Amino acid sequence: MKITRLFEQGVFVVTSEVGPIKGAVSRDKTIHPTCAREAMFLQHNVHAVNVTDNQSAVMRLGSLAASVLLKDKGIESVYQLTCRDRNRIALQSDLLTAYSLGIDNVLLLTGDHIQLGDHKEAKPVFDLDSVQLLHMAMGLRNGYDITGHPIENPPDMAYGAVVNPNFDPIELQLIKMRKKVDAGAEFFQTQAVYDEAVFDRFIDKAAVMGRPIQLGVVVLKSPQMGKYMNQNVSGIMVPQSWIDEIGSVDKADRKKKAAEMTGRLVRKLKDRVQGVHIMPLGWTDVVPDILAHAGIEVKRLAFAA
Amino acid sequence: MHATIQKPIEEIVDHIDPKEKVFVVGCYNCAWKCHSGGPEETEAMAGRLIARGVQVVGYATPGPQGMSLCKLDNTRKVLKEDYSEQTRQADAFLVLACGQGIHTVIDATDGSMVHPGCDTIFGGETVSATDIEEFCSLCGECVIEGTGGLCPMTLCSKQLLNGPCGGAENGHCEVDTEKPCGWILIYERLKKLGRIDLLDPYRKPKNHAKWSRPRRLRVGPDEATFVSLAGKHTVNNRN
Ligand code: SF4
Ligand code: SF4
Repeated sequence: MKITRLFEQGVFVVTSEVGPIKGAVSRDKTIHPTCAREAMFLQHNVHAVNVTDNQSAVMRLGSLAASVLLKDKGIESVYQLTCRDRNRIALQSDLLTAYSLGIDNVLLLTGDHIQLGDHKEAKPVFDLDSVQLLHMAMGLRNGYDITGHPIENPPDMAYGAVVNPNFDPIELQLIKMRKKVDAGAEFFQTQAVYDEAVFDRFIDKAAVMGRPIQLGVVVLKSPQMGKYMNQNVSGIMVPQSWIDEIGSVDKADRKKKAAEMTGRLVRKLKDRVQGVHIMPLGWTDVVPDILAHAGIEVKRLAFAA
Repeated sequence: MHATIQKPIEEIVDHIDPKEKVFVVGCYNCAWKCHSGGPEETEAMAGRLIARGVQVVGYATPGPQGMSLCKLDNTRKVLKEDYSEQTRQADAFLVLACGQGIHTVIDATDGSMVHPGCDTIFGGETVSATDIEEFCSLCGECVIEGTGGLCPMTLCSKQLLNGPCGGAENGHCEVDTEKPCGWILIYERLKKLGRIDLLDPYRKPKNHAKWSRPRRLRVGPDEATFVSLAGKHTVNNRN
């Protein structure tokens, strides 16, 4: 099911995210990889689950395999595909494969640079950028590959893109967002937002572009994680007030606190977006709590339609 | 210019067979400016090799000053005529220059054995006597008309053509907090020039066939022909 149909129906779309395991899926069907177990927590609380593509350039199980695995378990997936490791042949082939394996939602991204990951000596590909990738995906949908050759049975999936409201200067990020819209992006998920001021200077200009936007939130698990993100995760700043607040409770109470803090932010901002994308970094069990704090009820009825 | 840096002396010596007689060649242009293979470094290299037991039969940095080693006719004349006696004894040439210069020595000496004495790192701007910086990746299809002359293929770590990724922080690229984000540089320059509008159009994927190796260029007073896997591409320089 394409999540764009939910946006069309006016549903507030809730997605979350899992990262594939560093390893292969067991042949023993009774053994579920961590990412599948995490996703199973989410199953009844979100509309779809993003599956990251070798996130932070750390080599893992393929996002397509994990996306299909979730689908098989009845969990709608959003297959993430990045430009970092594939040239235009591989990207197109993977899109055709994804559709052929039943995937309905794809998030098209540039991808973190190889220097951020665990294979620093690898050759970065970046044959296309994310705007060109979107163009190419639209071409496939219209029946042509990037060179103009006709293809059989064009794949029709929902194509999303990412935008970073934290980017400074924001005008430059908005120019890129506009290009993604023109290229065919059908929905947007934002990078992690913590700061209302960051959101404020972004949202009105982004909203006029007329595509549904899901507010992206990353669950802050501990003050250490906040400091780590500020030092090592590019493009995102965790405000000191968040670091202090999560640090104000004992370790045992952090899940509860994190859910409360994240939920509070989402509740404040939710009326200005069309959905939320919760990145729990493994803590998928706190997602229901976040949604409760945010006052969001996931409507499933429309989804079945 | 072609930026080069000498290989560590241990690595150079390691590649030379103890029985080999070596002639050391430098370059009086780029490698001279990089202090990796000018006359001084070439002479010094001969001494450093001898001190480590290598049999050195001679050395030369084909001049005049400013002459590139990669100019074949000059290099051939110097090695085959001016230094003919020493080069005839040589089993191999240790070349302190870029890879183009090294190949020039192969051509100039009719296929002799060569040892690279340098790593060739990039083509760059000589910003000052001590600093060489890279602004072009020699892609064969220049796109900087749309970026105010700043190259996204070189200044952006991901070679993005349609604007920045989301990774920059405080103006720096996600790969390195010391390196400015190329796209922020482009943006700031265009803003200053009052040409932010240049960022709006969609930039198509590059034709990487033009970036295929090896490529060739035939030049003449009237026209030039660039040959790559993208085909032959001739332009007139006059009309
Ligand atoms: S676009 Fe290509 S030719 Fe132009 S400056 Fe960049 S690398 Fe060099
Ligand atoms: S941070 Fe800037 S320079 Fe670095 S990869 Fe992203 S857009 Fe390119």
